[in-house]
Amino acid sequence: MRRFLSIFKMDLTNLFKSPVIVGYNTLFAALIILIMGFLTDGNYADSRDAFQYYAVTMLVYGMLNGAMTASNCFMERDIKRPNLRIIYSPAGSFPIWFSKILASFVFDIVLHVLLLAVLCPILHVTLGSNPLYFIALMAPVEFAAAALGTFFCCIFHCEETTSTLLSLTVSVLCILGGTFFSLDGLGPALAFISKLSPVKWLNEAFFTVACDHSLTLFWPVFLGATVVSVLLVLGCRLFFRTEDYL
Amino acid sequence: MENLMSVSRLTKSFKENKVLNDVSFDVHQGEVLCILGPNGAGKTTTINILTAALGSDVGEITYKGRPIGRQLRVYKQALGIVPQDLSLYEELSAEQNLSFFASLYGLYGSKLKNAVDGALVFAGLDDRRRDKVKNFSGGMKRRLNIACAIAHRPELVIMDEPTVGIDPQSRNYILDSIKKLRDEGMTVIYTTHYMEEVEVISSRIIIMDHGSIIAEGTKETLKEGIENEKKYTIDIEENGKISHDEFFAVEGVKSVKIEGNTIEITSLKGIENLDRIIALLSNRGEKIKNITSENASLETVFLKLTGRKLRD
Repeated sequence: MRRFLSIFKMDLTNLFKSPVIVGYNTLFAALIILIMGFLTDGNYADSRDAFQYYAVTMLVYGMLNGAMTASNCFMERDIKRPNLRIIYSPAGSFPIWFSKILASFVFDIVLHVLLLAVLCPILHVTLGSNPLYFIALMAPVEFAAAALGTFFCCIFHCEETTSTLLSLTVSVLCILGGTFFSLDGLGPALAFISKLSPVKWLNEAFFTVACDHSLTLFWPVFLGATVVSVLLVLGCRLFFRTEDYL
Repeated sequence: MENLMSVSRLTKSFKENKVLNDVSFDVHQGEVLCILGPNGAGKTTTINILTAALGSDVGEITYKGRPIGRQLRVYKQALGIVPQDLSLYEELSAEQNLSFFASLYGLYGSKLKNAVDGALVFAGLDDRRRDKVKNFSGGMKRRLNIACAIAHRPELVIMDEPTVGIDPQSRNYILDSIKKLRDEGMTVIYTTHYMEEVEVISSRIIIMDHGSIIAEGTKETLKEGIENEKKYTIDIEENGKISHDEFFAVEGVKSVKIEGNTIEITSLKGIENLDRIIALLSNRGEKIKNITSENASLETVFLKLTGRKLRD
């Protein structure tokens, strides 16, 4: 356990020491919420005004992009080399990939909660009657994203390939899910396609918690993300081979 | 010397490419075993299998008489590994790197502190302990790379070409450090393609080529086979049409290689025939620019065994 904590601490430190990753999860996210909110201000109904809409959807977008935090933490070239020593050590192979998932999850959720703590009062964004539900719903989604990034690395053995594929997948799902603009008003066909994107349901779940003060989508999404997380962790265990690191 | 590790019949293929073929050798307690071979000989694959980071298709490794697979944790605890690439966190200090890597071997508290202090002194980086690794020179990083492997005082240190791309001073420092480790009782497996390093530090040598061991022994026994030969390299101004046969007529000449204006002659030792070779060239009107003579070296051993130079 002491060895695992040592590795986890190192992974977390490396993430917080990377200005690019920290900036992407905070400044970039804040900027995009502000820009999109400003540009579309007045296009939304009162309960979901532009800033409210983009605070939620961009946060979901940021959470899913947490997969790239994990892939960076796991197989980025400068990190991968020293991580080789963990493979050589008696710590075993489990802490190598699991600590990356855990560190990415903690890193992302801490930064995203801090971002909300700053933006909510300024932009009058609500997280619902009890913000803890909102944060509790973030947790399994952030964890699943981190596990997804690590799982992709275990499959493709390369950070660049993983990041490219993840970026593409997340962007397509987010566009279809109405992250950047709602597809519901663009005809029944597009509205139907939009419903196929899991991001649509993630957005809806967060909106119902934040704006409608309802938990109707909370548990399905919470449990769904938890099941996906468990499956991805099992997948990492199955597919991770130490020689991929050599 | 007591046997520490036995490697038997290691075979490894990557898809259709067989990179190791029936490799067997022993490692004795307290020795510096050098694995010598050109790039692509199979040295790094052998090392990766020895470190248990890579599996072999066939073969077994035993450590202190037991297969490593049955005592993986104990085996890894006894190992210190210096990878070929620098494996350090550039954004952290030397002390932080050492502290983290030593903690992976179960050290903490005062034991960890002592281990880190000892490793910093070993690497000659005590006064730079709080400096970030990214500000170090290449030689300093190489030294730290080794220090990270020995901080937990392993029984067996495996070094995969640890001196690649560094200045002569740092190389000498590292070679001296390896001798120091040997004197302290550590066993070292050292791969390289630098003959000079092997000459300086080896207790025993394994020469590998094309995934197989082609020779094994001390440097003395390896050289013994060709000890009775010496090589002349003669540079002439312009090569007329001098033939190999004319040199073979000279007593003691065993082989002749003519490439452009350079003639390489291997001759039996003890027969003083250089004057006759010079006379032969003078009589043919050739102008000699330079003559060098060398006795048996590991380079000539390798050349004799493989027909090519180590760095070809």
